[in-house]
Parts: sequence; structure tokens; C-alpha cells
Amino acid sequence: MCNFLWLASTEGIGSYAPVLIQLLIAGAVVSLLMLLTHILGPKRKTKDKLINFESGIEQIGNARKPMGVKYFIVAILFVLFDVEVIFFYPYAVNFRELGTEGFLAVLMFVALFVCGFVYVIKKGALKWED
Amino acid sequence: MSLILLLVIPLITGLASFAFRKAQAVKAWALFGSLLTLVVAALSLCGIKEQTHTISYTWLPTLGASFALQGSVTALLMTLLTAIVFPLTLLAQWNKDIEQPHRFYGLMLLAQAGLMGVFLAHDLLLFYFFWELALIPVYFLAGQWGDKDRIKSSFKFFVYTFLGSLLMLGGLIYLYLQTPNGNFDYDTILATGAALPMAVQNTLFVLFFIAFGIKMPIFPLHSWQAGAYEQTLTPVTIVLSALMVKMGLFGVIKWLYPVFPSGTEQFGNIIMILALIGIIYGSMLAIVQKDIKRLIAYSSLAHVGLMIMGIFADTHNASVGVVAQMFNHGITITGLWLVVDMIERRYGTRNMNELGGLAGAAPQMTIALVVITFSSIALPLTNGFVGEFLLFLGIFESTNPNHIIYMAIAGLGIILGAIYMLNMVQKVAYGNKKEMAIADMSMNERLSIYLILAVIIILGVYPNLLLQLL
Amino acid sequence: MKPLIATAVFAILMMFAALTVKEKKSFTHFAAILMLGLVGLNVWELADYNRLLASAQASPDLFGKMLRVDNYALWFNVLMSSCSFFYILLVGRSIEKVGVHVGEYYALHFFILCGVFLLSTYNNLLILFLGIEILSIPQYILSGSDKRNLKSSEASLKYFLMGAFSTGILLMGIVLLYGAMGTFDIHGFNFYATGTLNIMGVVGVLFMLVALGFKVSAAPMHFWTPDVYDGSPTPFTAFMATIVKVSVFFAFMRLFMEGFANLDPYWKVTVLGTITVLTLLIGNITAVYQQSVKRMLAYSSIAQAGFMMFVVIGSNAMAMKGMIIYAVAYTLATVGIFGVLLKLKDYTYDGFNGLAKKHPFLALIASICLMSLAGIPLTAGFFAKWFVIAAALEQPGTFWLVIFALVMAAVSLYYYFKVIMAMYFKTGEPELITPVTTMDKVVMAIIGSAVIVFGIAPDMLLAWI
Repeated sequence: MCNFLWLASTEGIGSYAPVLIQLLIAGAVVSLLMLLTHILGPKRKTKDKLINFESGIEQIGNARKPMGVKYFIVAILFVLFDVEVIFFYPYAVNFRELGTEGFLAVLMFVALFVCGFVYVIKKGALKWED
Repeated sequence: MSLILLLVIPLITGLASFAFRKAQAVKAWALFGSLLTLVVAALSLCGIKEQTHTISYTWLPTLGASFALQGSVTALLMTLLTAIVFPLTLLAQWNKDIEQPHRFYGLMLLAQAGLMGVFLAHDLLLFYFFWELALIPVYFLAGQWGDKDRIKSSFKFFVYTFLGSLLMLGGLIYLYLQTPNGNFDYDTILATGAALPMAVQNTLFVLFFIAFGIKMPIFPLHSWQAGAYEQTLTPVTIVLSALMVKMGLFGVIKWLYPVFPSGTEQFGNIIMILALIGIIYGSMLAIVQKDIKRLIAYSSLAHVGLMIMGIFADTHNASVGVVAQMFNHGITITGLWLVVDMIERRYGTRNMNELGGLAGAAPQMTIALVVITFSSIALPLTNGFVGEFLLFLGIFESTNPNHIIYMAIAGLGIILGAIYMLNMVQKVAYGNKKEMAIADMSMNERLSIYLILAVIIILGVYPNLLLQLL
Repeated sequence: MKPLIATAVFAILMMFAALTVKEKKSFTHFAAILMLGLVGLNVWELADYNRLLASAQASPDLFGKMLRVDNYALWFNVLMSSCSFFYILLVGRSIEKVGVHVGEYYALHFFILCGVFLLSTYNNLLILFLGIEILSIPQYILSGSDKRNLKSSEASLKYFLMGAFSTGILLMGIVLLYGAMGTFDIHGFNFYATGTLNIMGVVGVLFMLVALGFKVSAAPMHFWTPDVYDGSPTPFTAFMATIVKVSVFFAFMRLFMEGFANLDPYWKVTVLGTITVLTLLIGNITAVYQQSVKRMLAYSSIAQAGFMMFVVIGSNAMAMKGMIIYAVAYTLATVGIFGVLLKLKDYTYDGFNGLAKKHPFLALIASICLMSLAGIPLTAGFFAKWFVIAAALEQPGTFWLVIFALVMAAVSLYYYFKVIMAMYFKTGEPELITPVTTMDKVVMAIIGSAVIVFGIAPDMLLAWI
């Protein structure tokens, strides 16, 4: 019937009192400092402070405008197929050692990618114009 | 075989009831099923003298659970009580129209099957199974039919009892893991429980007792009781108070008291004190009630308190008295609820202060009410007397150092019982607040009530009929 | 590993079917047939393995010890693919309504199953990582598949960001473990190899605990769950909350049982017990306050995760049994209740008012499933709870943890039975959005009766252990 929530301590809970005191002091110091800066610090409210920082150039219009996602799709697909090419490097280095089995494995890998490529084309993901 | 029939008949008839569409047909079918159960229950109790029946089939081999039933005297007496109460209730309520009767009677019979299982199970897991299964149909019965606060009160009842059962489940699994090779068999459980270290036994005892104590209910765990009794339809109230209460007591007798002897020793005195508080507290509350149903609910708290004291008094007379009183209390309170229901249906109220003059309008009903009330306050020559007398005797003989004080305080409960019950009879039967011509008991009601009166009188005059079995 | 390869191939097949087929309905039929084939393949794999086992030719190690199969894992795969099959039959028509890319949705399901099969058989932390990723990425897409719905997009974004973060933590944990142990093989971990406890390894364990806890939505890593489950299209929530979740638990348990076996049990109980207590407390208490049944089910899935944490705490033979039964009981019941929910127009509790009178069959199935979730005897949920509790109790020092969990189970009654109360005790006019077809009725009847049959004889599920 042991109870895992028991915090067995030979010296009793009292030995933790310094820790508690330290925590309280730390909290007090932090809140005091924050309060002081809030009260003593100068406050200047200007309109320029509230607008977005655009590298010194004045803002034009709203940033939340709808834009085409075509670019992203193409970019992501590019990454995908680019990574595929990277996989060929280790294979090319070990071409001889891996032999027929390795060749077949890479063939399967490429075949899967071709499947993906066909799917992408058929879905019209690469069609630039709507 | 008869033990399985006791389970199967209510189960099959109950499931079949859902298929009926006509109210009269389903009533007849339910009555037929419950009468069949009664015959089997009576026959199996008659056959008890030769030997105790135990049957056991493999159920879950990986867990070591078996489908084991045992028909001990106590168990069979409780099944007989269950089997008697159902047809009597159905008979007395024959003329009452209930919405969706096929569901109502189907659930009633399923509840009966669950109760039978609780009393007969001889395997701890099976017992737990039936313990819950008896609860589910009763919850649906209490939630779907009844007064307007029924949803709240039935859910309170359900959560209370289910919480208790879950705590018992924790204890049960712990106990199971201590058995030598993973077994739920009664004898194994007994041996394992008794061999556990004292601290463990005490913890498990408390967990089990909370489950049983909620069902009985014992004093601090009783707050679901009055609401649930008050809001439900009379047949459901009868199942709750006459039968489900006995589940808790029976659980203590069979599964708690012998299994954790050290826990019993440790907590017996505390439980007796709680029961005493229940007796006095219940009686006090009953005195101030205006609603008859609530009055009986609180009186039930007092009656059950005495039975709990009897169990933990640990003497022969007390243990005989407990079983006898469990049976008798079931019969008496069934009669009481039925009569109260007749009164309520005729006058349209249960408030005692608005009732009166029943003696003039319906003399037969008044006689029934008076006799059943006498049994409830344990007047000699009624069955209530036999059980309570043995209980008092048993408590008096107890080795508990405070037994005389306990007995004296419990005796006070009887006097208080007389006060509120007779006060109720006086207000309902006499006086002339309600000058209203009402019909006396109809044929079916008469049949049902007279049978109850017969049992009350016969067991009061010749208690040996019951006591020779024990 | 026929089924593992088959999942990938089937997924690609579904994708190509999506290019050519226009009729939405045929996707569901096609997916159901493929899923049935997957079940068959899994059964075949299991039978094959046992045949080899009998002739002492079976080798548990596959792909250079990357995967490790045994009867237990293969049986789990059979059960999960069967559950997926019933899931498709039950919610297929709702999946068709989510959006236009129905074929892709099914393809993603197959990819998820690929992850599931990897998680059930991994023997190497790299495969664990792969499995988790293959399992998660399709979920990010599925949760956002209702593109026009703001909540769905929110769910997807939240899940993706948080999921990516937890993946990072998982990877960090794997790296730390590798640094400490010099191996990715989960059977090669020894935290006391140098005589004292390997602290770096323990830190790795903690990292993995956090990441896996996130995937199974254990508190305090659960914050994504309600929003994602609530926002995602309902049929996909049903899949994410069931098959995906229990599969991660399966991996979780295997990691602690086989990989971290020689960690101090007292430490494990303390750390995992804390997570369990928090999960149970937060899941149950918050579920009580929900207005929508769908959101309530999201919290309930957190609460159920608390119970499933017991198999991780237990990590013994009883826990293995408990895992299987809990997985099936929880999956069937949740899929069943979601199946009913999908038929309704109004997801609030009031939407269920009077359902028993108008559609008694739906109400009955929903009640059986809810009772199973609450763990009432005669339903599979009872034995699920039974086994996980027994598994936990076999560990020292878990007694009060179990009692706490049981009290929380009583709390769970409140929100599960609130639905039952609405259906049976209240009156109202529930509206359906789709009619209940014969097919629905058959599947629901199968699920309902399975819940009850496993509630009487849970041994049937343990035949292969």
C-alpha cells in the first residue's frame, strides 16, 4: 500500500523554508523593479511608434491581401524532387558495391516518384494559368 | 438447474416483453413470467433441505472466472422474496396505465434477472457483473417514468451507487491479484481475503463497504434515497426499497463479513454506530415529513439500520434475525407502497395533511393499511415482530462492550417508528378533511394485498416456517 | 510484411483512382473493398507466421532488425484493420460529403494505416519515428480537409504546428537515447550499463515521453486535442480519436515494456502516474462542462487516454491483454457513437432529445456505445477497464492511483449519461441530416453486438496472445 505521493523527508518540511523565503524575495524584487520602471520611466506616445516597421519606407496598403498559392505548390514540389536527386549521390558513389539488388531498389524508388509525378501532373498542380 | 432457471426465466421473458405492442398482452406476459419464476423459486427453496445446490461452468478461462451459482438458504430466501414481490406488484398495478408498457415491463423483468443473479452468484466477478446489471434497468425505469424531478433524482441514485461499485471494483481487482493463481472462486476469495495483512484488509473492507453501504443505504451515504423513492413509480420504488436494499445487506453477509474478518473486527463498531445514527436520524426525519412516500423512505433508513446492526452484532440470533427481517421487511414495505399508491391514485395526493377519512370511504383498504403498519412497527403476531425481536436479542447478546446502550438506542427507534407510522395512519384513515367518495380496492388489488396480509399474519403467528430454514 | 506494403500500394491506387473516377460513391466502395483486402492480408500474414512458427522457421526480425513481428503485433494489426473496415462502412457516406477530394481522403487513411502497422511492429527508434510521422502527416491534411470551414483550417494549422514541435522533441529524445546507448534498437537499452543510472538516457526517455504523450493527448500535452477534434470534419475525428490514438498507445506501451524495461519501476510509476492523474482529472472535469457532444467526445478521448496510460504504467503481460481489449472496446464504441452523431443535425446535447422515441435503433446503439465508454459490465468497456486496472495494480505503489481513476470514471458517467438521458428521458424532435440506410443499420448492429459479445467473453480477443 505504498503511496507514491508521499514526500518522505527525514528533516521534515521545515528544511525547505529558506527556499520558500528565497522564492518570495525573488518575486518581490522582480515585481518591485517592474513597478518602478513603470512609474519612473518616461512615456512618449507617437503615432509612428504604433505602425509596422517597413525598413523606413512608408507603408502602402494592407498586407492581408489574397495572393496566388501556385508559387508555393511549385516550390514545394521542387523541393521534393530536388531531394530525390540528392538521394542519387550516395547511390552513385556506391554504384558498384550495391550491384543488381541496389539497382532494383533505386529503380523502385524512382518508379514511386514517377507515380507521384504523374499524379501531380494529372491533378494540374503545375498548370500556371487557371 | 433450478438456479439457472431463476436467472433465465426473467431474462427471457423480459427480453421478449420488448416485442409486445399491446399493453394488456405485455402485462399478462410479465405476470406469467414472474409467476413462473415464483414457482421455480418456491420449489428450489423446498428442495433446500437435502443439499445446497452449487453449479459452476467455465466462463473466462484466462481470468479464472467461472459462471458459478450457489443456492444457499439466505440466497434462496432472497430469490423467493424477489420472486414474490414482482407478481404481487404487477397484480396490484394491473389497472394502472403506463406509457410504453412493453419497455417498462421488459426492464422490470430484466431488473429481476439482475437481482436473482446478485443473490445467487458464487463467483466474485459474476457477482460484480450482476450487481451492476441489476442497476442499469432500474436506472432506466427510474429515469423514464415518474414525477417531474425524476431525471435528477434517478441520476443521483445512479451516480452514488455506481461510484460505490467502482470503488468496490478497485478492491476486487486488488483482491483478485492476490489470489494464488488468479481466481474468483468464492472459497479462494475467502481464503485470500482472510490471509491478507491487516492494513490491506481494512482498506479493502472500506472500499467494499462503501459499495454495499450506498445500496442499503447507511447513514452518511443515504442522501440519494428519499428523492429516488419519492420520484419513481410505485413498482420501481418497490424494487428499490424492498429488493435493492437487500442487495447491499446480502453483499455484506456473503462477500464482506466473511472475506475480511480483520476489517470486520476493526470497523464493526463504527458501522454499528453509523447504523444507530441512521435509525434515530431516519426516524426523526420521518416524523416531520408530510409526503407519505418520503416518510416511508426515511423509515426504511431506520429499519435497515437495525439490520446492519444485527449483521455486525456477530451472534447467532442476530444473524438469523437479519435474514428473517430482510425477508419480512421486503414483504411489509411492498404492501405499504402498494397501499400508498392506491391512496394516491384515488385522492391524487400523497400529502398527509390533505388526506383523511379513508376509514369511512374504503374500509378494506384501511384494514390493510393498519395491518401492514403494525407489521412495520413490529407489533407481535406480525412478521415484523419476529425479525426485530431476534435482532434485539442478538444485539443484546453481542460481545460488543456497548451492546446494552446500542440496544436501548435502537429500541428508541421502534418507539419513534410507532409515532410516525401511527400518526400517518391516523391522518390518512381518520379525520374528515377529505370527504370524497372513493372506490375501495378492486379485485386484483384485493388479491395482491390479501396475499401480503396472509404472509404477514402467518409468519407472525407461526414464524417457525421461516426460522426452521435458517 | 505483406500488409505494410499493401497499405502503401492501396493508397497509391486510391490516389490514381481519384484521377479517373468521378462518381463519389464508388470511392467508398473501392476503399471498403481494399480495406477488406487489407484485413484478409493481415489474417494471411498471421496464419503464415504461425505456420512458420510451427515448423520453427519463423524469424521475428525483419529488414535487418528494423521490424519485429510476433503474434501479438500481427493480431493487433488484424483488429485495427477490421475496425477500419467497419469505420469505412459506417462513415463512408459522410466522408463523401466533406469535400471534393474523396479519393485522396481514403488514400490518406491507407497511409495512416501504414504508419499504424509500422508502429505495431517497430524494433528500432528510427522506425518508431517514421511510423509516427507517416501517421501524423496525413492527419494534418485530413483535419483541414473541410477547406471552407474556418474551424477546420484552425484545427489543421494548430495540429500541424504543435505536431511539428512534438516531432522535434521526439527526435531530440531519440538522439539523446542514441547518444547514451549507442544504438537505436529498443532491445539494446541498458540504463545501468556503467553501473550508475545513465542520466542522458533518462532525459531522452523524458523527451520521448513528452512527444508520445502529445500524440496520445495525455495531459499536460493535450491542449491541441479539443480544438482539433472539434474542428476536424466529424468522420475524420472518429478515425483520429480511435485507431490512430490506440496505435500510438500500442507503440508507447511497447517502448516502455521492451525498451525501457530496466528503468526503475518506482520512477516510472511516479512520472507516468503524474501524467495519468493529470490526464484523468483534466479530461473528465472539462468534459463535464461541454455543450456539444462532439467536443465532449474530444475530452472524453483525453479521459480515456488517462485509462490507457495504465497499460504503459503496467507494461506487463496483463497490460498486453488490456491494450488489445481497450483498443477494440474504445475504438468500436467511439466509432459507433460517432456513427450516430454523424446522422444528427444538431451536435449539442439538445440535438439528442427524444431520439429514443423517433429512432429507437440509433438510440440503442448510442447507449450501448456510451455505456461501453463508461465501463459498465456486459459491455466491452468494462473488461477494458478491468484489464488495464489489473495491469497497473500489478505494479507496486499504484493503489491510490487506481482508486483516483475509478472516482474519475464515476465523473465520466455524468457526461456520457447526459446523452442517454437526453435520448431516453427527454422529449424533442431530433433532426437527421442523412437517412439511416439498411447498411448503416447492419454495421451499427454489428458494432453494438460486438461490444456486448466482447463484454461477455473478452477471451475471444485474447486468442492470439
